[in-house]
Amino acid sequence: MTRKFDPYPHVWRLPLLIWQGAFFVVPLLFMAALSFWLVKNYRMEPAFAFDNWERMLGRGAFWDAYWLTLFRACMAGIIASLIAFPASLFLAFHLSPQGRRFALLCLIVPFFTSFLVRAYAWQVILAESGPVNALLGGIGLGPYTMLNSGFGAMIGYLTLVLPLVVIFQTWSLAAIDKSLIEAAANLGASPARTLVSVIIPAAKTGLVLGAVFAFIMTFGDFVSPFYLGGSKPPTLTILIIDTTKSGQQWPRAAVVAIMMILTLFAVATAALKAAYGRRG
Amino acid sequence: MAEPTTEPLVSFRSVHKAFGTYVAVKSLDLDIHRGEFIALMGPSGCGKTTTLRMLAGLEAPTSGAITIGGKVMNDVPPHQRDTPLVWQSLALFPFLSVVENVEFGLRMRGVAPKERRDRAMLWLERMQLKGFETRRIDQLSGGQRQRVALARSLVTEPEMLLLDEPLSALDAHLVIRMQGVLTRLQKELGITFVYVTHSQSEAFAMADRVVIMGNGEIAQIGRPQEIFRGPKSRFVAEFVGRNNILGGTVKGGVMETAQGAVPLPAARDGKAEIVVAADRVTVSGERPAGAAIRASFLSEEFAGTGIICYFETADGAEWKAQVTESQLASLQPESGQEFWLSWNADSAHVMGG
Repeated sequence: MTRKFDPYPHVWRLPLLIWQGAFFVVPLLFMAALSFWLVKNYRMEPAFAFDNWERMLGRGAFWDAYWLTLFRACMAGIIASLIAFPASLFLAFHLSPQGRRFALLCLIVPFFTSFLVRAYAWQVILAESGPVNALLGGIGLGPYTMLNSGFGAMIGYLTLVLPLVVIFQTWSLAAIDKSLIEAAANLGASPARTLVSVIIPAAKTGLVLGAVFAFIMTFGDFVSPFYLGGSKPPTLTILIIDTTKSGQQWPRAAVVAIMMILTLFAVATAALKAAYGRRG
Repeated sequence: MAEPTTEPLVSFRSVHKAFGTYVAVKSLDLDIHRGEFIALMGPSGCGKTTTLRMLAGLEAPTSGAITIGGKVMNDVPPHQRDTPLVWQSLALFPFLSVVENVEFGLRMRGVAPKERRDRAMLWLERMQLKGFETRRIDQLSGGQRQRVALARSLVTEPEMLLLDEPLSALDAHLVIRMQGVLTRLQKELGITFVYVTHSQSEAFAMADRVVIMGNGEIAQIGRPQEIFRGPKSRFVAEFVGRNNILGGTVKGGVMETAQGAVPLPAARDGKAEIVVAADRVTVSGERPAGAAIRASFLSEEFAGTGIICYFETADGAEWKAQVTESQLASLQPESGQEFWLSWNADSAHVMGG
C-alpha cells in the first residue's frame, strides 16, 4: 500500500524549524565564519585567517577569564544544589500535592520580574550602608564590602538559578515511588541512610539536571558579574562586551562565544550521561 | 500445619486504626503463631493491608497493642523491626543491580562486604537467579523480579515474612508456579508467612489458616476447608464464592422458603439461612427426591476443572451449579429453560448455627 504524502504533521513542525534555522543555526554558522574575519581600520573584512583564534587563545587574560567563569559556574551549581536540597525535600515529602503545586507556582513568580531589576535590588540590599550591614552593625560586626566582589556575583547567580534548581529537585524527589522509601526502612535503613542510599540515587536525574541548569545559566550570565561582581576580574561574558567595544573586534568576541558554546556543549553532554546513564 | 504449641509470635489486641474519620481497622484481635502460613483475605478496603503495614511499623495503630515475640511494638520504627515485606509493586531499587538489591538489608545491618555478597549470592542461587546478579531490575521478567524481591526480604533470615498481594501482577501460569515456590519456601525455612490477598484461590491454596476480613473487622478465622465448607455469615459465603444461599423458617426438619419447602434435618426450629456449595448442586429436568428448588437457566462459564452454570430463581436469587462437560452436553440448557436444582440435605451448611 502506498501512503499519500500527508502534509498535516509537517505544517505544525515548520514554524519551529524556520525559527530555529533562521535565528539559531544560521547566526551560529555566521558567528563561526566571523571568527575568521579580520578587522582593518575598524571595519570587518571577510577572510579566512586564524589570527583571532591565535591572539585570543594565546592570551593569558582569556584563560584567566575562562577558568574564573568555569569555577564560578561550578560553585553556583554546587551551592545552589546544596541550598535547594533541604527545601526541595520539604516540598516533596511534607506537603500535600496541592500545597506543592502552590509552592512551585510561588517559585515561578520571581521570573515575573526582570533579572536586571532583581540585581539592582541586591545592590541596595548589599550596599555598604544597606540593610544587611545595618543589621550586622547592630550586633557589632562589619560593615562588610559585599558588592563588587565574587560574593556579590554569587548572590546574583543564586538569585537567578535557585528557584529553577528547587523546581527540578522537587519534581524528581516527589516522583520517587514512595514504596521504595518504605522498603528501605523495612530493610533496616534509618531515615539518614534512606536519604543517602535510596532517595538521592532515585532522584539522581533531577538533582543532576538542576545543578547543570545552574551551571549553564551562571556560565552565560552577564548581569551578576557586571552589576554585583564589579566586572573585575572579568568573566567570559564581560570579556565579550569589552572585546566588541574595543575597536569593533566582533571576530575576537566570536572566538570567546564559540569557546563558551563548546564548553557548555561538553558539560551538558557529560551531565546528561550522568543523569540518565545506568550501570551494568 | 504447625499447631500452636508456644505463645503466639504476633498478637493484635483491640487494635484500632483510623485515617482521619475513615476507620480502616476496628478492634482487631488476632494471634499469629510461629511457623504458620496465615492469609489475610478480603475485598479491597477491608483493612487487610493496613493490618499488615501496622505489623511492619509502616502505620501506627490509633489504639490497642501489637506485640511481636512478647514485646509491644507500637512505637518501634520500621527500620528497627525485623519484619521484611514483599510489596505488591515489589519496590525493588531500580538504581541497584540484582545482587545489590538482595544485599541491601545486610548492608544496612553493617555486614561486611565480602560476607554480604556471599550470602546474597547464595539466595540468588536458591531462587534460581544465578547469572543474573549484575543485571538491572528492568532487564528481568516479572517472575524473576518476584524472586529477587523474595531473596531481598529473606537474606537477613527473619522470623517472619510479610507479603502484600505479591502475585497479583503476574500471569496466571506464573501465579500457580509462584504459589508452589512460596509454600515450599515456607516449609523449608519454617518461618511465619503473613500473606495478604483478595484472591480466594491464592489464600486457600497456600495458607494453613485464613482470616477473612470485611469493613475493618475479622469475619471468620479458620482452615481453608472450614471456611469453604462452613462460612459463618452471608458476607463470608458470598466472598468465598460459588456458594448458594437460601433463607427460610425451619419447623420440624423442614425449611419453608420462597422456593418451596426443603428438608433440613440438622437445623433447629426458627429462622435460618443455609449455604449450598455450587459443586454440591445437581441439575436435572425432572423433580428429584429430597431438597430441590426450581430455577431458570441463565448462562454457563468454563472454569477449568468444570463448568459453572448460572440460574435464577423465581424471586430473583442467583444460583450456581458446577457440572461436568458431559453433564452439560446431556442437559443442553437453553436460556430461560427451567430446571430442578437439588442437593443432599446433609451437605447444606446452616449459617450462624
